[in-house]
Amino acid sequence: MQSKKVRFITAFAAVACLLWLFGLGWTVNDYLFGTNGASAFPVSDEEPAPASDEFKIIALGDSLTRGIGDLEGKGYAGYVSDRLKQAGWNISFVNLGIKGLTSVQLAEQMKEMEIGRQIGQADAVLMTIGGNDLFLGGQTLSNLTDEGIAKLEDEYLNHLEVILGAIQASNPDAAVYVLGLYDPFGELEEGAVTSRVVRAWNYKTMETIAEYANAVFVPTYDLFQQNVSEYLFTDQFHPNEKGYQRMAERVAALIIGTGGQS
Amino acid sequence: MINLVQNEMMKLIGKRRFLIISVIIIVLLSMFTYAQARHAETTRERLGSVDWRTELQQQIVDWQNRLSSAGQWREHLQIQIQQSQYYLDHGVNPSEPGAPTFIRGFVENSAELFLPLLVMIIAVDLVSSERSMGTIKLLLTRPVSRFCILLSKYIALVLSVSLVLFIFGLLSYVISAMMFGSQGWSAPVLTGFSVQGGELDISGVRLVSQWQYILQQFGLAWFISMVVGTLSFMLSILMRSSAAGMGTMLACLIAGAILSSMVSSWDSAKYLFMVNLGLMDYVSGTAPPIEGMTLGFSLAVLAAWMIGALAVSFAVFMRKDIY
Repeated sequence: MQSKKVRFITAFAAVACLLWLFGLGWTVNDYLFGTNGASAFPVSDEEPAPASDEFKIIALGDSLTRGIGDLEGKGYAGYVSDRLKQAGWNISFVNLGIKGLTSVQLAEQMKEMEIGRQIGQADAVLMTIGGNDLFLGGQTLSNLTDEGIAKLEDEYLNHLEVILGAIQASNPDAAVYVLGLYDPFGELEEGAVTSRVVRAWNYKTMETIAEYANAVFVPTYDLFQQNVSEYLFTDQFHPNEKGYQRMAERVAALIIGTGGQS
Repeated sequence: MINLVQNEMMKLIGKRRFLIISVIIIVLLSMFTYAQARHAETTRERLGSVDWRTELQQQIVDWQNRLSSAGQWREHLQIQIQQSQYYLDHGVNPSEPGAPTFIRGFVENSAELFLPLLVMIIAVDLVSSERSMGTIKLLLTRPVSRFCILLSKYIALVLSVSLVLFIFGLLSYVISAMMFGSQGWSAPVLTGFSVQGGELDISGVRLVSQWQYILQQFGLAWFISMVVGTLSFMLSILMRSSAAGMGTMLACLIAGAILSSMVSSWDSAKYLFMVNLGLMDYVSGTAPPIEGMTLGFSLAVLAAWMIGALAVSFAVFMRKDIY
């Protein structure tokens, strides 16, 4: 009786052993002696967007969109989504922000098929871009001449047109909210200089955006004009929770104002 | 010979080793499946009800955000991003929900440490326990050569490793199927990514069915377990105490896991067996710990260690004084 059971288990183990050996052999054959079979890819079956009653928000852009400086890690975009949820909206929210992103990189990112597909399904697109173009990752503007800034500006505006064009091509109906820059250095010595540059930058951004029917420029400059330290994170560059909340308040109000029809 | 092998198997079954291993697997598996299910749930909560493309895109962006602070993992992360992007561009879902996908990930993660540990439970006192119990004298007084006795023990080890792997596969299927459903055996998997100088090489990428991929993974996992089993087997002959053998082997395995993440500049470390245990990485297309290591190289190094260990085992066992 006992020996019968043992014999059965032994035989079974032998079979398993052969199976694993076969698997190993197959692997070696496949990966070492590259019998490259036909790599026929399935036709990317483009499933149509599941028609749902959700209001889809896509956030694009740099560290502000990502939420750097916010201890909860939500950023203004996350708070916008939270506020809309509180208002009883059915929200689907995707944050594609990448910290340190410049306008060139965002223009590059727009070329990705999947990004285009997602924007195609979106009802609203939130965007912060340009901060890294101008502030070069936190370096001061003081060693830049006016011509240097003008050059940065031109390049940035070109990229902005590419980005907005791409969004419009993927989705002619979605509202695009572009948040303007604020001046984190306003209270520093160089404040007067940087403020002037940022104001000019915002103005040109606004003018460019005006060419796109669905794009809305949302100013943030005034939010960080007084009592800056209250609304900035300890790095004195990114907003903190309070700063993000203020930005979100503005955008959420705009979206709610549209009534949500997509 | 067959009788000798059966005798060895009987001892192992009598010691309830397989039962212990099964219980360990069940307990851990339940925890992992639960964790996985929770993870899926939180993702759904965070993003709303979304398709896998949106989820994967979000994952890619999350990785991109980690890039600047990734330090030494930067390259690793970059490759992961490119790979996911490739999946996305070709419309292949890398994690089709279902038990087979869970098994795939589970085998990949447990082949280096968890499975070898289970195998050690069997292998490490195969000979030394007979000595400490004194039963080895009874065994050696039989009218068969020492060579045959040791061979029968080794064959029993090979069979046990196969059995453990089978139990492992079966249990992970049963438990995860309860949680995620059993579909997805024929889901497509992209394989053949290779890493050349920190860059992802996609020239050899091809599409295979998931069941085929899993079978190949188990083949590799079996080989890894066999290497560790054989080395433990040798230690159980060299050392009188099972605990010492277990400790040595454990130290080696853990050292391997640590070394793999920091040896990239110590070139000759690639001949150590523990650095080569990450065979799965070659199949999934992760960067090897030391530049220039390939699947063939690692298999050869491991095979060499295994043969060496076997030679030492037999040489020592046949000459040793037993008292």
